[in-house]
Amino acid sequence: MRDRIFLAAFRPLAVAFIAASPWLPARADEPALKPVAATAPLPGFIKDVQPLLTKYCVACHQGEKAKGGLALEVFRDERGALSRRPVWERVAAQLESGAMPPDEKPQPSDDERALIMRWIEARVLHVDCSKVDPGRVTIRRLNKNEYNNTIRDLLGVDFKPAEDFPSDDVGYGFDHIGDVLSMPPVLLERYLAASDRIVDAAIMVPDPERAPLQIVKGRSLGSVGDVAGEFSFSRTGDYALRVRAWAQQAGPEKAKMTMRFDAQDMQTVDVIEVENEVGVYELKLHVPAGKHHFSARFINDYYKPDDPDPNNRDRNLIIERLEVQGPLGVLPENLPAPHTTLITCRPEEAANPTDCARTILRPFVTRAFRRPATDDEIERLARLVVLAAKEGDSFERGIQLALQAVLVSPHFLFRIEVDPEPLSPQAIRTINDYELATRLSYFLWSSTPDDELLRLAHLGTLRKEGNLPAQIQRMLKDPKAVALVDNFAAQWLQLGNLRLINPNKKQFPTFDEALRSAMEIETKLFFGAIIREDRSLLDFLDTDFTFVNERLATHYGLPGIKGEAFQRVTLATGVRGGLLGQASVLTTTSNPTRTSPVKRGKWVLENLLNAPPPPPPPNVPELKESGDQQADATLRQRMEKHRENPACAVCHTQMDALGFGLENYDPIGAWRTKDGAFDIDASGTLPGGATFGSPAELKAILKARDGEFRRCLTEKLLTYALGRGLEYYDKCTVDTIVNNVKANHDRFSVLVLEIVNSDAFQKRRGKRGDEP
Amino acid sequence: MNHDWEITRRTALRGLGTALSLPLLNSMFPSLARAAAGPVGGAPVTPLRMAFIYVPNGKHMQDWTPATEGENFELPATLEPLHNVKNDFCVVTGLTQKTANANGDGPGDHARALASFLTGAQARKTHGADIRAGVSVDQVAANEVGRYTRFASLELGCDAGAQSGNCDSGYSCAYSSNISWKSESTPMAKEVNPKLAFERLFTNGRPGESAEARAKRDRYNMSVLDFVRDDAQSLRAKLGVTDQRKLDEYLTAVRELEVRIARADKGGISDAAASVTRPAGIPKDYGEHIRLMEDLMVLAFQGDVTRISTMVIANEGSNRSYSFIDVPEGHHDLSHHGSDKKKLEKIQKINRFHITQFAHLLERLKAIKEGEGTLLDNCMIVYGSGIGDGNAHNHDNLPILLAGGGAGTLKTGRHIKYENGTPLNNLYLEMLDRVGVKRDQLGDSTGRLPNLNG
Repeated sequence: MRDRIFLAAFRPLAVAFIAASPWLPARADEPALKPVAATAPLPGFIKDVQPLLTKYCVACHQGEKAKGGLALEVFRDERGALSRRPVWERVAAQLESGAMPPDEKPQPSDDERALIMRWIEARVLHVDCSKVDPGRVTIRRLNKNEYNNTIRDLLGVDFKPAEDFPSDDVGYGFDHIGDVLSMPPVLLERYLAASDRIVDAAIMVPDPERAPLQIVKGRSLGSVGDVAGEFSFSRTGDYALRVRAWAQQAGPEKAKMTMRFDAQDMQTVDVIEVENEVGVYELKLHVPAGKHHFSARFINDYYKPDDPDPNNRDRNLIIERLEVQGPLGVLPENLPAPHTTLITCRPEEAANPTDCARTILRPFVTRAFRRPATDDEIERLARLVVLAAKEGDSFERGIQLALQAVLVSPHFLFRIEVDPEPLSPQAIRTINDYELATRLSYFLWSSTPDDELLRLAHLGTLRKEGNLPAQIQRMLKDPKAVALVDNFAAQWLQLGNLRLINPNKKQFPTFDEALRSAMEIETKLFFGAIIREDRSLLDFLDTDFTFVNERLATHYGLPGIKGEAFQRVTLATGVRGGLLGQASVLTTTSNPTRTSPVKRGKWVLENLLNAPPPPPPPNVPELKESGDQQADATLRQRMEKHRENPACAVCHTQMDALGFGLENYDPIGAWRTKDGAFDIDASGTLPGGATFGSPAELKAILKARDGEFRRCLTEKLLTYALGRGLEYYDKCTVDTIVNNVKANHDRFSVLVLEIVNSDAFQKRRGKRGDEP
Repeated sequence: MNHDWEITRRTALRGLGTALSLPLLNSMFPSLARAAAGPVGGAPVTPLRMAFIYVPNGKHMQDWTPATEGENFELPATLEPLHNVKNDFCVVTGLTQKTANANGDGPGDHARALASFLTGAQARKTHGADIRAGVSVDQVAANEVGRYTRFASLELGCDAGAQSGNCDSGYSCAYSSNISWKSESTPMAKEVNPKLAFERLFTNGRPGESAEARAKRDRYNMSVLDFVRDDAQSLRAKLGVTDQRKLDEYLTAVRELEVRIARADKGGISDAAASVTRPAGIPKDYGEHIRLMEDLMVLAFQGDVTRISTMVIANEGSNRSYSFIDVPEGHHDLSHHGSDKKKLEKIQKINRFHITQFAHLLERLKAIKEGEGTLLDNCMIVYGSGIGDGNAHNHDNLPILLAGGGAGTLKTGRHIKYENGTPLNNLYLEMLDRVGVKRDQLGDSTGRLPNLNG
């Protein structure tokens, strides 16, 4: 406990430090406010820091068995120390949280802690913004959403094959972080199985048994004669012409049958089958469209009535029927649309079938790999088409196989950016146009670049002539931009949790699935409107419109809305408006039985103000519940009790105040003025003295703290755009974006454009030695 | 167009295990008959299986720990649902997972509890960059024993990974939702949908597909894998270290898949499985969901489809509401009980609900005859949590059960007490010994455990 009380005293400095250091690893999403004014001379490593480490830390943190694998005695000078930045990030996090040194060990004074912290801040974490450091992104496997969208846009089959995949792990709040997405065997198994289903839906393999069949009934031929029929051949193509027949055999030879086509003898066969057997005799012919005759003729009648063997007297041919099946290829009008798009040539029309396969594969591989296909790739894929032919399968089946290989290839499953010098941190390069098109497309669409982006990449003009801003505008207007809502917004606002939450049915009988789903839709439509109408980011904090259907309107007490369809409504009273008035956010931050001002306050700090509170120390009891409904004290009174503990007060003063400002919303987001027997008191005072008396006033205060919100959203969207956690050196990028967004009326598209224009998005470098 | 991926809409089965008659099983799993007949490819005559079942947020320890040591202990309230199999398991107390402690890494006990449970390794604290725990005991075993079966190991669960947010105090959600680690940086994703798990384990090829067509499909799949392996190998050479690690995962997966295809029983499985009622999807009822996953584990063990399995009943730190047993509060919220009597009672209710489902698994295994005894006799099943008391977040004296006879190597029906602080991984070394995998060290193990044989 001593430690926590100490922390309370230490906290002001810690906050100031954090404020200037948004890039501590454990708190990469902290706000960066103004740097602390340097009042004392800069501490030095040898003079100031090393003696303190020796005094307080090295006893445990040295040698091979250093606690936590952290050895601190190895640094002989400042240069050596600075070469191992992650070490100091860890030290800073430990000092800041007060976790180290442990309680039972001698403790440094506040001044001594501050000294080390100032050295770390000034020397280790200092960033020179005149030097670009774009960082590097680990190759990113497509996550489930990206895979589904990519398959949809690549092949035009939209059945969400990734639904069966194991879920993607989350890091930095998002489920598409390159470092976190792993490839366990079960996943590759699913990719292979999915590729099988996908190519099956996209390409139709000719199946002779499914071609149209025409039949003419036959008869028994007791003497030379024929069974003939006129058949219509709907289009020029390959047809199977069959005779089903058997014979009553007699005499020295078998019954002979000649199959004739348009009065021409095509083939004569021995019909060897006898009664109770049926032989199938087939001709495969390429036939021009139109009506044609097909017949089977009995040509060797035999009759010896005086043969002593009664079974050897009469030879007859029994034609059961004539069949014409075809055309054997699939009719063009029956082909799936992707088939027609992909199969751009027919092997019989090309100089050789392999050329035809190459013609088909090259554009597909280029789109699938998001960069030009190499000759080697095309040749190796063409070999799969040949393999299918050797197995006796059709050309289409061969193409299916090649496509499968593409869809399971690491070039498709991972977004790869190959560096010429992957191990040189100095080797900063601007990513090429294909890589840029890919980053852009997965950022805004969670999907593969479309033909327009690939065309510009091919021409090398994606960055030229104002193309980039124009493309961003085009992409944001495209329906595919809903991916930003479904993936970014849903994870930023943690809408997924809405599906997990189960408000107590007895207390909240109006909560049902229709309401749950309406809550989610409202927030998604709201976010979508901000993108589509290119509104100000500050609308997220408070604005005068939202979207409701009848169910949600009833929940909110908004009159006059009918039906299941959502409509845009103008809000007049200040009760709703902005994210904090939306039931989705209010419900996911509540407990099943009551509101949780702590969770709501924490949500505001984490997701709007960019100031996540440190986790609670273990063994601090949660709030005492005193009876379920009939509390003998208000929640507020009970929580004030809780805050008497100074260890709790440090964080809870702010967290609880923010949460109490939302107490007018019950655990499922309905407006209330009483909780049980008690009147709702939604007033509060924030550290710094700002006071409010209602949710509307709280929102006004938040809107005045626009700087924190702007930075918060910027850092989250930048993390999402890059697919990696932000590092200390990203501070420069974030500063630039935030300034430019503010100068441009906080329009959403400016935020997107600024992110796309940033060094972090446009460039990459080799790996630094101290990076994992 | 082929429709084999469409959901077979039949009622979800309750009691998949009993839906199979024995003759059918023998045709469904030829290897079962083989196993009984004698060693094949060096496999033991009767395979010994290993499973690890995880429950989050610790226990109400007072109602978990038996009052007396040794045999004839009285079942505490939480363990009472196990009365039918009381002589088939041990309560093991005193075991500790020290690497779940902060050890300088600050808060994050839930993430560490699961990440260290089978690894005995300190999870690297990171939101995402450079995720690292250790290789888990099931994967150490699967790496050797896995070659005898079609699936080296089977990872099951009831919660998908978190969809968003920060799971625990600066730890990536990978730590709090994965128990099984193939390498120190590759968690094994778990299957949570019983329908998909069933199809993966018990079907091969498409319904109605001829043996020839299936064989051809397998040949084609092998050619596809050849192609992508070449891609991955040449790509790997061009990448930096972090990216290479991803390609290594990929290449490992390719190798495993090739082995699996090569080993797929060419006949029978698909047709036989068709006569079993397949699970239709994830049941709404949580208990039914757990039992279905357990039934699949039983079937997989019974048919020697795999010998190693893990199952995460709920992700660590889960805040699931248990309204169906009158506990509407979230489990994690409740676990910070502050010694509140009412909260402790509710935690006990949740613990008991979980144990009731575990009893189902043990009873199922016990109902299946194998050789002279039962399937349960040839199992070693660890059930437990990486947190002792949810309020204290302690990782010593963990709630651990060890069930099954270990093919005659475990003396069950006892409460075994070890000195508090004994590494949990020492138990795992013992288990590895019993499946024939010799290791001197696993994670933070310090030696072996006495007294398991009685």
